[in-house]
Amino acid sequence: MAGRLDQALKHAPLRAPSPLFDRPRAPRGVFTSQTGFLRALGGLAVVLLLVLPFMDASRYTMSIATSALIYVMLCMGLNVVVGFAGLLDLGYIAFFAVGAYVSGIFTTVLGFPMWLSLIATICACIIAGIIIGAPTLRLRSDYLAIVTLGFGEIIRITANNLDITGGPSGIHGIPSWEFGGWSFDDGFSIGGIEFPGYVVFYYFVALVVVVVGVIGAGRLGKGKMGRAWKAVRDDEDAAEAMGINTYIAKISAYIIGAVWAGMAGQLMATHLSAISPNSFQFLYSALILMAVVLGGMGSTPGVIIGALFVSLAPELLRDFAEWRFLIFGVLLVVVMLFRPAGLWPATAVLPWLKRQKPQPPPFTSAVSAVDHGEPTVPPSVMESVDGLPATDAEEGRQP
Amino acid sequence: MSALLEVRDLRLQFGGVKAVDGLSFEVRTGEILAVIGPNGAGKTSAFNCISAFYLPTSGSVEFDGNRIVREVPGFWRRLGLTHLLQSFGFYRVLPSRVTKWGMARTFQNLRLFRELSVLDNVKTAMHANLREGFWSTLLHTPGYRRAEEACAREARGWLDFVGFAEDENLYVTQLPYGEQRRVEIARALATSPKLLLLDEPAAGLNFNEKQSLMELIRKIRDMGVAVVLIEHDMGLVMELAERIVVLNYGKEIADGTPEEIKNDPVVIEAYLGVDEDEGGATSTARADGGRS
Repeated sequence: MAGRLDQALKHAPLRAPSPLFDRPRAPRGVFTSQTGFLRALGGLAVVLLLVLPFMDASRYTMSIATSALIYVMLCMGLNVVVGFAGLLDLGYIAFFAVGAYVSGIFTTVLGFPMWLSLIATICACIIAGIIIGAPTLRLRSDYLAIVTLGFGEIIRITANNLDITGGPSGIHGIPSWEFGGWSFDDGFSIGGIEFPGYVVFYYFVALVVVVVGVIGAGRLGKGKMGRAWKAVRDDEDAAEAMGINTYIAKISAYIIGAVWAGMAGQLMATHLSAISPNSFQFLYSALILMAVVLGGMGSTPGVIIGALFVSLAPELLRDFAEWRFLIFGVLLVVVMLFRPAGLWPATAVLPWLKRQKPQPPPFTSAVSAVDHGEPTVPPSVMESVDGLPATDAEEGRQP
Repeated sequence: MSALLEVRDLRLQFGGVKAVDGLSFEVRTGEILAVIGPNGAGKTSAFNCISAFYLPTSGSVEFDGNRIVREVPGFWRRLGLTHLLQSFGFYRVLPSRVTKWGMARTFQNLRLFRELSVLDNVKTAMHANLREGFWSTLLHTPGYRRAEEACAREARGWLDFVGFAEDENLYVTQLPYGEQRRVEIARALATSPKLLLLDEPAAGLNFNEKQSLMELIRKIRDMGVAVVLIEHDMGLVMELAERIVVLNYGKEIADGTPEEIKNDPVVIEAYLGVDEDEGGATSTARADGGRS
């Protein structure tokens, strides 16, 4: 076993001695472990979402649900950039725009099939991620935010002025997804249940993409690259000192964020079949960022809750007519006042899993035995050795 | 014994201030070297140059056959693009590369990753040694699982090695200061270094913690890792170091065994200052235990 494990690591000149004792295996049950509970919760949510169209397949509900799912996808991508890697991005909607426009142009102007436009979208987003990522590598927080803000506006204004993007009126008539002659518009029926063509299919496609996106982003956040992102977020210099190339870590965070947003853009373009520069205003960048911060930066369940809140709350508040955005704003302020780290912070532990007292390891090594023992020599002995006193802060630069 | 680290005529200037002014020393495999000097003498600046965080004005640093200080070609220098190019990683060695070559360091003020658990802090340091790709992480392949398991095992090995005695799943901010110091050393060791740079490892530790730190540093040396430490605690330095380099005003003023350093008049002068009237030197000496 140890031999196979050794091969999992690259050759390194210095290897750790074996651990002195075996740690107890982490519990795995639904109610005894955090991951188990989150998995169960996620599974339950997916089942509920799968059942939803069978309860209410009205155009309104499906449309709202699909756009909520697209928001979740966007927020998961932004969570990689802002939550994991700590790169404040105020122009994130630009990647969404790149995804939507590339898929729109490839399917309408160039007449490519859907799967080819999907590949083109991913490639374009990777390139966009590098283009925005590279110049901002040496920038931090506020400066970075301003540059990304500029990038977001550049993309929107470019789309507004180019001919190929249809100018201010955008691109219309983006075709539905087709599989061998059958298109999403056709719909079909199984066993007497009619599956109408309009939005139900996009809902299901969005659901699949979002499930993959959420699980994928979560897994990336836990692996080697995820740790590198979080290290860069917490302390860039220390991360660099740990052998993490912070340029690569940041660029990869941008690329992952861009691809996630691009997928969301592709979904939206085919779902609405029309896009225009108005859909990519700064307001939406702010809204998505707000969802991430509101939910809890770096926390997958938190970000999903934040995305659902931001996308669904204005709809649920429709009864209040012109008051709804005021109420929405007040709700945000209240949430941030009472939960400043977000609705479900990344460091949150389920209340029933909180341990009263951390378990110290059942050993005392030679080193720690010295540490916890009683002093044997009074500290004053250490103060100066043979006429060479320890330095003091003020003594540094005496003439 | 060949030199593992060779610093030759290192100079670092911030505007008009010469932080490091012609420093030369070598570190041999498996020795403990202490760098001492009054505050502001340029010790940490020299450390930062050696670990490639600062780009020195001139001089050369060679570590294990690799040049750490690189020259920008004259063409770009004349265009005034030196800083721009180097800030994007051209014509310089990044600190992460130096770490991959086998030089690890700790920081003067603790710089652990505050929002990661203790175990993840140590795992983070194994970044370069971990076989995990994008797809294997996404798909959780058996190779990925093995790598993660090996990584956790190795990290726990290092935590046990430094005598970390708390729960590994705690966030580092929940730990007492002494334990945070241990985690930082474990994290540096997890990069699998040949040379370990410790920047004031004993600052803020109590007597017992200092004793166990000395024991730990000797254990690290016995594994074949060269240790270079900056320290203010003379007791610890004199007891631990095999060789001492003394800096003052960015210049190296002495290099020798603890015995030689103790009796070196130049060193005593740098620490105590020179008084006009003879015999007054001792009056400026302070009896408090340094910065700790």
